[in-house]
Amino acid sequence: MSIDPKQPSLLNWRTLWGLLFVAAVIWSLHLAGLFERDQVNVGGWTLVVRFLLAAFSPELSSEFLHLTLEATLQTLTYAVCGTFFSVLLGLVGGVLSSEVWWLSKGFQAYWLAVRAFLAIPRAIHELIWGLFLINIFGLDPLVAVLAIAIPFGAITAKVFAEILDETPRTSLLALLNSGVSPLNAFAYSLIPQAFPNLLSYTFYRFECSIRSAAVLGIIGAGGLGYQILLSLQSLRYEQMWTFLIALVLLSGATDFWSAMLRRQLGATSRLDLNVLNLSQRQKPLDQDHRLVSLSLFGVIVLLIFSFWYVKADFTKLWTPRTAQLLAGLIQDSFPPDISQLSQVLTLAAQTLAMSLLAITIAGIGGILLSFPAANNFLLPGGILDPGRNSHLGTAVLVFTRFFLLFTRAVPEPIWALIFLFVFFPGILPGAIALGIHNLGILGRLMAEVTENLDQRAARSLKALGATGSQVFLYGVLPCTLPRFVAYILYRWEVCIRATLIVGFVGAGGLGRLLTEQLSSFDYRGVIATLICFICLTFLVDLISATVRRTLR
Amino acid sequence: MKKALLSGLLLLLVLPLIACSAESDSTTTKEVKPLVTGAIPDQDPEKLQRQYTKLAAYLEQELGVLVEYKPVTDYAAAVTAFKVGDLDLVWFGGLTGVQARLQVPGAEAIAQREVDEKFHSVFVANKKSRITPFKTITDLKQLKGHTLTFGSESSTSGRLMPQYFLQQAGLKLNDFKGEVGFSGDHDKTIKLVEAGSYDVGAVNEKVWLKRVDLQEVDLNKVQVIWRSPAYYDYHWVVNPQVKQRYGDDFAKKVQNAFLKLDPNIPEQKEILELLEANKFIQTKNSNYAQIEAIGREIGKIK
Repeated sequence: MSIDPKQPSLLNWRTLWGLLFVAAVIWSLHLAGLFERDQVNVGGWTLVVRFLLAAFSPELSSEFLHLTLEATLQTLTYAVCGTFFSVLLGLVGGVLSSEVWWLSKGFQAYWLAVRAFLAIPRAIHELIWGLFLINIFGLDPLVAVLAIAIPFGAITAKVFAEILDETPRTSLLALLNSGVSPLNAFAYSLIPQAFPNLLSYTFYRFECSIRSAAVLGIIGAGGLGYQILLSLQSLRYEQMWTFLIALVLLSGATDFWSAMLRRQLGATSRLDLNVLNLSQRQKPLDQDHRLVSLSLFGVIVLLIFSFWYVKADFTKLWTPRTAQLLAGLIQDSFPPDISQLSQVLTLAAQTLAMSLLAITIAGIGGILLSFPAANNFLLPGGILDPGRNSHLGTAVLVFTRFFLLFTRAVPEPIWALIFLFVFFPGILPGAIALGIHNLGILGRLMAEVTENLDQRAARSLKALGATGSQVFLYGVLPCTLPRFVAYILYRWEVCIRATLIVGFVGAGGLGRLLTEQLSSFDYRGVIATLICFICLTFLVDLISATVRRTLR
Repeated sequence: MKKALLSGLLLLLVLPLIACSAESDSTTTKEVKPLVTGAIPDQDPEKLQRQYTKLAAYLEQELGVLVEYKPVTDYAAAVTAFKVGDLDLVWFGGLTGVQARLQVPGAEAIAQREVDEKFHSVFVANKKSRITPFKTITDLKQLKGHTLTFGSESSTSGRLMPQYFLQQAGLKLNDFKGEVGFSGDHDKTIKLVEAGSYDVGAVNEKVWLKRVDLQEVDLNKVQVIWRSPAYYDYHWVVNPQVKQRYGDDFAKKVQNAFLKLDPNIPEQKEILELLEANKFIQTKNSNYAQIEAIGREIGKIK
């Protein structure tokens, strides 16, 4: 920024990215066939109406509620066990892939190698891990637990490493210089210092694990996702709504508990963790240790219960059968079959288009809904307090928040199946499904941005007599928009990975091809598709990181 | 505070060890593993569960070993579970059976219902689509420009054979309106066509007749427009690992147990009714050469 009061030039990064974005969206709509093919399947509306009407009469017989409770417990326990192992992997991987660890050992280059290695498990969605693991562990709850633990472990390792690298190093260096071994020095300086952030991220991962455990149900791991899929497949919508309500309650309760705990610990908020803005640490509220110790106790009980409840056969991890099956699978998968390469590349372009459309829907919808969902916006004393009718403000807030919770609690493949009633299979229903799910996540994150906004600008504008829309356009939007864009880009990286799983239930793209290849046991084709898909995710990560850097 | 946290963390580290040790104890006490049966999920899973618990009880009594039914949610998962040895005796479709036997050398097709050696698919259409029933395969061309849904990707009667017959009639999948759908199972296909989501659906004839019989479809809305030629479909496949576990003649014993099912004995009649069979007959791997060839042609077998 120059000090001159000159008009800034229009030729800047922002305009460039903006134009590219518009072009990309038009290209995506073209690939989705919006301009040439029939998209909407008018015949399906009757089913949608039946589905929506069923929401008013969910099945509530006691026998059925018992089944719902069992399914809920199963999803919860998968999530707990999965999170446990992912944090364990994350701690080890995090230390090993942090720059500061290798610095303390004297080899600097290794951390990059470990990081690059961890990028591969991260790029593959939990569902694909699940399908792969079935091949070596068979029908066992272990598959679900590890399908969460492996990719989430790699993500956790990356974030833990970044947290460790961002933590001040003075005390660590002091210990190292006085001859303490690196492991001890880590355990006594860096880890305790970074502890609140690590713990906070662990809880965030747990929230993600719940959603993931539900998705895994779709490939047959059981639990709520499985039951929802079954009732949807047999068109028993009344039962489906009962399961959906249970999933929303489970997911909502976890989010609420985790947010409370984070605030008590004074740890970084959900959104700052996502883009690693660790300096934004909040002051702990009135420290109430009871909640923290009660939660800790709760976590231990939950863990013991979960390991007992899932009944996974952990011995399968080291039995010779597993090694044999793994060796056989690897033998069947190599060399990758590249005979279908041109088809794979066309589908890769479609997949990219799907993710772009999805993030556009999620981004725009999320921004629009984030304001009414923020607790400092329409409520009395908020930025845009309507003054007269404060009940209306509260009603809007509660309704929007519930809507966001609902859209993010329902897994993407379930949304896709619902949209497939009225759309032909293709990338459009997939994009809408992904968009709706991510809208719920982005809307919530963005509402937190508005809630943490520095309100002085808005207040002074208001005091000077600006109208509501002026305050919004000049006092609120300019402060929040850059961070919104950062979250949207971050979420895009997640979206591209999730395109596979909506493809799985019949929306288009590489996921659809992968389903065909998996059901044909064409492992060499599967590997070729996966390699292409991983390259695609790296490309998206690269674009996203570049845009974020140039906009900073 | 910190102490509490640390000791908590330590305790957490020990947990999986406890879980493991408990597990290994229980595996050593079980000496003979039960015979695990399964089925491809071609119908409403709740109905499958009911059918197979009855059958498991019968087999337990006939074979003198513990029999367990394990539900599977996906066609490919059933094949995979058979391959890794988690399922010993599976009710496969034509295509999935071939896929499973190709991956498990020594696996044998042992028995099937009478109807399965001359199985048919039917194309059903919503009446609003104004497609009229026809007899010859070349008339499938009429379907051009309509919407179509198959059942599961790996279904023989709901995908493989219908796609093959369409090919024979000179139709390609992109001759249909929009993209061709995969509903997941036969019941869902019927319901989607009945609701009008798709004009035409390819369905297992047996499932169709059963729904008509139970008056679960509205014949004012859906009708059969074409019945396919006959082919071999569903059959029981047994995993060779049972011979090591229960003795060399075990596969034969299982086969006999099926062939012996007698509609004149009330309990067995109930089982036959649940499985929609009059009686079971012998079958063999070589009956499926045609299915294998078509599977390779369409790309479902590599």
